[in-house]
Amino acid sequence: MAMRVTTQRRVFKGVGNGALVLMVLWTLIPFYWMIATSLKHDKEIYGYEATLIPERPTLANYATVFRETPYLLFLRNSMAIAVGSTILSMVIACLAAYAIARLNFPGRALLARGLVFTYLVPTSLLFIPMFAMMSMLRLTDSLHGLIIAYLGFDVPFCTWLLMGYFKSVPFDLEEAARVDGCNRVGALVRIVLPMSLPALVVVTFFSFTHAWNEFLYAHVFTSTTNARTVTTGLVNFMSQDVFFWGPLMASTVMSALPPVLMFLVFQRWVVKGLTLGGVKG
Amino acid sequence: MATTTTVSLPLPTSSRRGLRGGRILRGVSQDRILGYLFLFPALLVIVGLVAYPFASAIVMTFQAKTAGAPGRFIGLDNYRELFGSEQFLRAVINTVAYTGIGVGLKFVFGLSMALVLNQERFCNNLFRSILLIPWAIPTVMSALNWRWIFDDASGLINNVLVRLNLIDETISWLSDPHLAMLSVIIVVVWQGTPFFTMSFLAGLQAIPKELYEAAEIDGASMLQQFSYITLPRLQPIFITAVMLSAILTSAGIQFVLILTNGGPSDRTMIFPVLAYHLALGGAQRLGMGAAVSLVFFPLLVIFIVFLTRRMLREKGE
Amino acid sequence: MPTTRREILKTAGKTAAVVTTTAPWWLSRRAHAARQAKLVVWNPAALAPQVDKIMQEQCYAYAKQAGIKENEIDYQIIGGPQLVPKLVAALEAGNPPDITRLGGGYVQLYRSQGHLLEVTDLVNKMQKQQGGLFPVSLPSVMHEGKAWGVPQSISPWPLVTRLDLLEAAKVDPPKTWDELIEVCKKLQKPPKVTGFGLCLGLQNDTDNNVMNMIWCYGGKLVEADNKTVALHSKGTIAAVQLIADMFSKHKIIPKGAIAWDNTGNNKAYQSRQVIFVLNPTSIYAHLADSDKELYNVTGLLPVPAGPAGAVEELTTAEWLLFKKNPYPEVAKGLAEYWMAPENLRVMIEEGDGRWGPPFKNMYDSKFWKRPVFQHWRGMLERGRQFPAPGAMNPAAGEVLATYTIGRMMHRVLVESWNVEKAVVEAHKKVAEIYARYQGA
Repeated sequence: MAMRVTTQRRVFKGVGNGALVLMVLWTLIPFYWMIATSLKHDKEIYGYEATLIPERPTLANYATVFRETPYLLFLRNSMAIAVGSTILSMVIACLAAYAIARLNFPGRALLARGLVFTYLVPTSLLFIPMFAMMSMLRLTDSLHGLIIAYLGFDVPFCTWLLMGYFKSVPFDLEEAARVDGCNRVGALVRIVLPMSLPALVVVTFFSFTHAWNEFLYAHVFTSTTNARTVTTGLVNFMSQDVFFWGPLMASTVMSALPPVLMFLVFQRWVVKGLTLGGVKG
Repeated sequence: MATTTTVSLPLPTSSRRGLRGGRILRGVSQDRILGYLFLFPALLVIVGLVAYPFASAIVMTFQAKTAGAPGRFIGLDNYRELFGSEQFLRAVINTVAYTGIGVGLKFVFGLSMALVLNQERFCNNLFRSILLIPWAIPTVMSALNWRWIFDDASGLINNVLVRLNLIDETISWLSDPHLAMLSVIIVVVWQGTPFFTMSFLAGLQAIPKELYEAAEIDGASMLQQFSYITLPRLQPIFITAVMLSAILTSAGIQFVLILTNGGPSDRTMIFPVLAYHLALGGAQRLGMGAAVSLVFFPLLVIFIVFLTRRMLREKGE
Repeated sequence: MPTTRREILKTAGKTAAVVTTTAPWWLSRRAHAARQAKLVVWNPAALAPQVDKIMQEQCYAYAKQAGIKENEIDYQIIGGPQLVPKLVAALEAGNPPDITRLGGGYVQLYRSQGHLLEVTDLVNKMQKQQGGLFPVSLPSVMHEGKAWGVPQSISPWPLVTRLDLLEAAKVDPPKTWDELIEVCKKLQKPPKVTGFGLCLGLQNDTDNNVMNMIWCYGGKLVEADNKTVALHSKGTIAAVQLIADMFSKHKIIPKGAIAWDNTGNNKAYQSRQVIFVLNPTSIYAHLADSDKELYNVTGLLPVPAGPAGAVEELTTAEWLLFKKNPYPEVAKGLAEYWMAPENLRVMIEEGDGRWGPPFKNMYDSKFWKRPVFQHWRGMLERGRQFPAPGAMNPAAGEVLATYTIGRMMHRVLVESWNVEKAVVEAHKKVAEIYARYQGA
């Protein structure tokens, strides 16, 4: 019996490796194309002369980005907004997700679902009345205004994802803790959160990248360059008739790096498979 | 097989011992207060932030409205006009197909990759970060990049295929009516799979290894381990991920807008794009745009209620 | 209450902290007025960055002369496709910019919704300068004798041509559409070089290109009364059939044209993949900076003739000034400044002719006398706008913005519909749109 499983495991591992290679290629090739385009001259980008590997690679496009736009300012703004909205969303969402996952109170189901119903009006329409309201509240054209606007998207999203993870945490452990005298808040902070650490990292990442990459609200709600983000800065390169592909791709490559680097860093904190004894009883 | 319960996390100790053991019994009413308290900030955000624009959007569907002017109430006229339009019916079918196939593929790829990445492997962290890249790129840029990749002449795919002498004529990924939807779905899947991968991976990582080891000693095959340990644990995450993804995919405009703008001949026209065209193009009829956006509303509500029924049952998990 | 006071206070405290940080809008009645700026400009990005810069410099120069401080100006350059969503949201919120630039019937649309400032005095002033304005710039801004927008430019859509390829094969530029087909078939080398880069995607370029050809065959969108839709006619059918033949029979149009956006034909020409395109001078101006070689062999030729003659498409752009503006005179002053012939000349000539000025006599300058622009005068005189002989109005704007003509072409080319059937359907759609606007 054990033999079979080991062989199974080996087969699975082999297939897994193969699948992984395919997936990595599938993921990276378009990204490669982005990078390559950002390093090419116009001539190498268009037409049948389009090269697969830049023949005369150039950093001119990157220079253009920094020259034509205050990229560092955009970076700072994006970072501030993303970090701010992520922290806020995560705090609110953790509390709400725990309440839905573990606590019992009337109206729980309705309230929980109410959170998701907000997605039923798509952003591509919602932005119009949203902007009208933000204008009324004098929240436009500011970093904190955008942070608040993003909460509307991030809170339900993070809440529901976290709820799913919190539900996977075995109830027994919490029960054991509470028998030992821990209260709900303690259970949340000391049991559930640490056990969901991988989930917290992932959800934080999603929230961060949403704010980082969001375009429509950032574009519509901000006017002055001082409040512009990386994504809205990108549209500088999209003129009426022709896109400036080189600088556009250069800008995109640069804007994709911070989230990925952040994730790389946060990964170290994720402990895989916490060692716990099984509770039989 | 009884094993000693060893919890490696520090538990709160005697400082709380003072409170009597009757806490659990009385916990129910404590639950109520705590529940509302915990949920309050989230609801405040939603009600304070989104309720008003949400309500405006719904009201708009019953109005003839243009920007900057109060709408004129016209009852169900917008909906009547929609249901009589062939383009609209086309969009219904397209949206369902697009969302269904897109989410389905993302789910399958995401789950496979999560299982694979959960294995022990050299450089796993690196692979995980690589697979995350599509999600880290703004949708607008992904769409533009892929538009370029699909391009007839300068595109990556045709470029490579022609150089390898595999084709004589370039493939029109975006203008061939049979290929257009497929091309858009490819991009949607490329962009969205990391969401599923990472969500499932996080779920998998929270399952203690001991469970698998114990099962294996008991003689369970890999498939059995998967069905009896992994799947039940992942079920809540499956549901939330699919639900969120379905809603957000069906409402996303960037891909279609940039790749095909609904064409060729409305083959890739989906709801949100139609709404966008109506609200921002031509006469800028916000009422019609809102009506299109919200047509799926009742259906989605049912979908959400049904999908989350299990998860939200009163008695807990 | 079974819980201890400590418990309640603790959780209440946590919640309160969270609540206050998430609801600063309780506190955000800003001390200063909502609108500090005396001048809010949303200028869509022109093709050439140097033009953007010049316009901005001119704006600031005007402001200085008007006594406005730099921090009282809110000047934004917005990418083309991004302008309209932002504008719609701003209109809905009740704070549009002071001035922006758009073409394609937006003046009439927003005028009919009551958003625009009347600028008849400005336009009358312009009529007294440089020989006055070309008649074709007026229908987009005039309504019942008053002007609601400031004409900014006129752009004819010539046949942009690879003169070098024609010369090398010792072929004359085509004078009729049939000749064009022959030239394309002779010179093209698919898939590397295709003859005619006609835009066929669901984009404005398509509607404009196809309408151009419809005119050459005697068809038109709507009659001069702006009510009687005239799309369904022998001329239209002939033109659509011609395009269908070009695409399927003669194969002189690239297959991918069906999915092109507004940059599709530009890219195709700039990467030397097509011989002819119908486009305003955006391509030409771009080449001045990016590809001098191609720039020198590019010709801007008159459109080939059909049985009903040869007519070019003309598009115009206007400055829109919004009514909801506490400082309307400032905005008007800026429009006047930008359109002052000396300033306009700088803008246009530094932009390598990205646009044409709307003033008649400005084409007498050295810039416009260059051989490449030799046909310009003629094009300006006989060119027409999309709904000609009707005028640019919200109905026509909607026909354009919903890609009615483009959809008609897709019916024929993608769904293989019979040409007349597709034309009849398009005619019906246009008639519905026009009917809805009776009274605007």
